[in-house]
Amino acid sequence: MFFTLLKKELFVEFRSREVTLSMLVFGLSIILTFALSSNVSPTIIANYAPGMFWLMVLFVAVIGVHRTFSYEKEFDAFSMLISAPIDRGFIFLTKWISGFIFLTIMEGLILIPFFKFLMIDFPSQPWIAIGTTLLINCAIMAIASLVSGIAMRARLSEVLLPILLFPLVSPVLIAATKISGSIMVGDPYSFWKIWLLIILTVIVIFGLVGYTLFDFITEE
Amino acid sequence: MKPFFNNKTNRSGLILIAAMMLFNVWNVIMNTPMVPEQHWAQKIFYIHVPSAWVGFLSYFVVMVAGILFFMKKDDYWDLVGLAAAEIGTVFMSLVLITGPIWATPIWGKPWIWEPRLTTTLILFLIYIGYFMMRTFGGHIERVKRYAAAVGIIAFVDVPIIFVSVKFWTPEIQSHPQVEMAQQPSEILIPFLLSLSIFTLLYVLMLKYRIHVIRINSRVRANV
Repeated sequence: MFFTLLKKELFVEFRSREVTLSMLVFGLSIILTFALSSNVSPTIIANYAPGMFWLMVLFVAVIGVHRTFSYEKEFDAFSMLISAPIDRGFIFLTKWISGFIFLTIMEGLILIPFFKFLMIDFPSQPWIAIGTTLLINCAIMAIASLVSGIAMRARLSEVLLPILLFPLVSPVLIAATKISGSIMVGDPYSFWKIWLLIILTVIVIFGLVGYTLFDFITEE
Repeated sequence: MKPFFNNKTNRSGLILIAAMMLFNVWNVIMNTPMVPEQHWAQKIFYIHVPSAWVGFLSYFVVMVAGILFFMKKDDYWDLVGLAAAEIGTVFMSLVLITGPIWATPIWGKPWIWEPRLTTTLILFLIYIGYFMMRTFGGHIERVKRYAAAVGIIAFVDVPIIFVSVKFWTPEIQSHPQVEMAQQPSEILIPFLLSLSIFTLLYVLMLKYRIHVIRINSRVRANV
């Protein structure tokens, strides 16, 4: 059942490309805004680049999760989904994993414009940067999928989602900025180990809490 | 439903706690010693720390009420959660006001991203979202479930927020209350007394607020 739900999420998206396309265009607009509003030396921009990158990812993630949940509201598809005899925790898990896949695709497409427009160098340890980025995406989407599941069927959901999400995700944003900043300047693992632990903690705790709570949140 | 203070126990509790709070203020101003480097500014800690304790206790109650609401499907726990969230936010506001008042003369500026105050601010913002959800969320039965879930995840996030902010700014000193247990008895005893009085005040406020919210919901149900 889990794989059927995941297939549904991916199939809907790969047919319409609605979520990834809107995330990508929004992300490019943010990069353009950052580049135009920070007309300073590349050295200064390089210091702010990790923060800018993760802020952009956070904004884009809001657009993504809001879209993945809001198309469930059309034709009341979500009511039909939760009336099916399935573990509702699986709905959370599939939203989380599909959101993670869409966010990672968007980042893959946006990385080159980000580095080129802001005129900063690529990290010297690309595989470590990719590995940590995947974990951070996973942590962001764990919280974002849970909060979106809560806010989705509320009135003013598009306002409530960022208002609830941004403070909750602040530890991930701090850790992500620190990890990426350290990798950009080539710091050893021991310098950013603690931040990686925070990211892993968020993945485990919010994964478990989301899986458990989703059953109660979606009750009718 | 009878007015809350018609009940003899509640009325006696109110009078007793009001008297204890007046004594507490007098005791803090008149009897506690001046700390050499901090002078009068230090006395705000007899209010600031108990407010923070009650705020976090109240948000813990929101989480427990949320769990019980999901388990027992009883609206009473939703009332408890809402009442505790309201009172917790009042006390967290006090923390966010008294913290910068203390920090201005001691650190030279009102805000320096101190881990405890930053965690309080983030939690306060989450609860602003919680109240927006309660007010503008729409369908009343769904909102009860969403609010319970937000109360649970907000408190689960507290230790993660605290640790991340602490490592984010390791150079910033921690509040002096870390060493409160090692303070001399003339500071420690009034501090613990203030903490106990604030806790009793919290219990009374919680009972009163649950009573008021219950009346309000009955009135709304009958309209």
